[in-house]
Amino acid sequence: MKTKQRSVDFTGYWFILPCFLLLLGVLGFPMVMAVLNSFAPIWTKGLSNFTLAYYRKLFNDPIFFNSLLRTVYFVGATVALHLVLGLLVALALNSAIRARRFFRVVAILPWTVPDVIAGLVWACMYDPLSGLLNDALHRLGLIASPVEWLANPRLVMPSVILADVWRGYPFVMLVLLAGLQAIPREQYEAAKVDGASALHEFLYITLPNLKPLIAIATILDIIWQTRRFGLIWVMTEGGPARATEILSVLAYRQYFKFFNFEYASAISVVLALILLAIGIPYIRAISRRI
Amino acid sequence: MAMRALLIRGGVYLFLFFILVFNLTPFFWMLSTSLKTDAEVHAIPPTWWPRQPTLEEGYKKVLMWTNFPRYFLNSTLVSLSAAFISTLVGALAGYGFSRFYFPGRSFLIGILLASQMLPGVLLVGPYFKMLAKIGLYDSHLGLILAFSTLTLPFSAWMLKGFIDTVPHELDEAALLDGCTRLHAFIRVIFPLITPGMVATVIFAFLLAWGDLLWALCLTTTDSMATVTLGLSRLVTQFRVIWPQLMAGSVIAAFPPMLLYLFLQKYLVRGLTGGAVKE
Repeated sequence: MKTKQRSVDFTGYWFILPCFLLLLGVLGFPMVMAVLNSFAPIWTKGLSNFTLAYYRKLFNDPIFFNSLLRTVYFVGATVALHLVLGLLVALALNSAIRARRFFRVVAILPWTVPDVIAGLVWACMYDPLSGLLNDALHRLGLIASPVEWLANPRLVMPSVILADVWRGYPFVMLVLLAGLQAIPREQYEAAKVDGASALHEFLYITLPNLKPLIAIATILDIIWQTRRFGLIWVMTEGGPARATEILSVLAYRQYFKFFNFEYASAISVVLALILLAIGIPYIRAISRRI
Repeated sequence: MAMRALLIRGGVYLFLFFILVFNLTPFFWMLSTSLKTDAEVHAIPPTWWPRQPTLEEGYKKVLMWTNFPRYFLNSTLVSLSAAFISTLVGALAGYGFSRFYFPGRSFLIGILLASQMLPGVLLVGPYFKMLAKIGLYDSHLGLILAFSTLTLPFSAWMLKGFIDTVPHELDEAALLDGCTRLHAFIRVIFPLITPGMVATVIFAFLLAWGDLLWALCLTTTDSMATVTLGLSRLVTQFRVIWPQLMAGSVIAAFPPMLLYLFLQKYLVRGLTGGAVKE
């Protein structure tokens, strides 16, 4: 394939034209406008009045920095838990167990639920009086009075994270399970002959084989989790007292609730830069295979 | 040695049992709540199994008293349209990238892949302004175009992968028979990449179905709302009526659940850029 010299053919442009027209209209134009808007009130005063004031305000704003830290906390915790739980379940499903198909379907099921609905269901379970969680903990003798999972600023983030982990880890599990199944049997057989322990097999065969997939799943998950909006919005709307206001929620509220278009755009641009920085290795890795 | 192996096996099953409970409890609670009466939901202590399972309070009321059927219809219309546009345009682009070498090809592929990284909150504001200017705010067309495009990178990339596996000789034979490039694409490639197109249709459908942000920002009339938006509005009312909300959630979660289970292996392949081969 590689040795065959392919000639330049401009017909290709016609085939990709509709795709790039849509990308230009729905992604390109809004992106450019958002970047411009973060420097000037373009919607009211046009392109004059360029200023760095909005970024200056941003970098002096504790609300922004707290939101940034919260985003790191939310993304870090959910991605780490997705990975750990995803790997453990993938390993369990890859071992010689009965009813594997059944367990596999059950393991994937939460991921099939839209994140908005996952948020609603968990909010229902977290309900202080009529929810399942407080009742279960009460019956087990672990709590004496109802816990306000979503109204207590200190508990709300872990509660939201738990709901997200429930929905999010099956994707990582699916990717890693596919990776596990692709590891050649011979490698394990050779290790057996050499008398390797299960731990050694895991460290020197399983993990190195999974490494590229773990990397890809991590990057994809970081990007998705940083953009997460619906689950948090239906559970808390970023509250109470901003306790779950991650950057995507902050930017949305600034734009659509308070109409601070310039400030909201600056927040979104920072968010986009973070995501692109994280995503570039992923794009490189994929482009190399073209 | 045998004892240890048994212990490990026991540990694996115990772990899977916990996972079973963790994964299924929310589904159980959603179904259970949807079958209760509003009075029973507020009983203290809460009942785990509905005393008298009933469809009257949750399902009937959410279908008869709220705009839920309308939301469901809207979501179906918007998601299906977006899915077909995304797949069709994605297949054309996939063919362009798979079969032709032209200046800027790898740069454009880079753009295509990078566009997946952009956060929705960056785009949705100016897109909203743009729609308002051309009179498409609060319309389904604005939503359909948004969802078609948001899923395009995935569709194009995934279908390029499928088209790569179709031998060049097949379209060359069609060209020799006097077909144009477009004809060759439609007659020869289309039938051979049907599984890939089914996968991208479903994927785009699911993304559009599950979205909240874009529907929240681009529509305002209640009769234009999608299921996720409609349900999220039920929860922010003064008093949440859980049986109705959970009944709506069960209905809204049903189509994606079926589609996901059907699609899982393609999804993993598409999202990891072919790093996993199943």
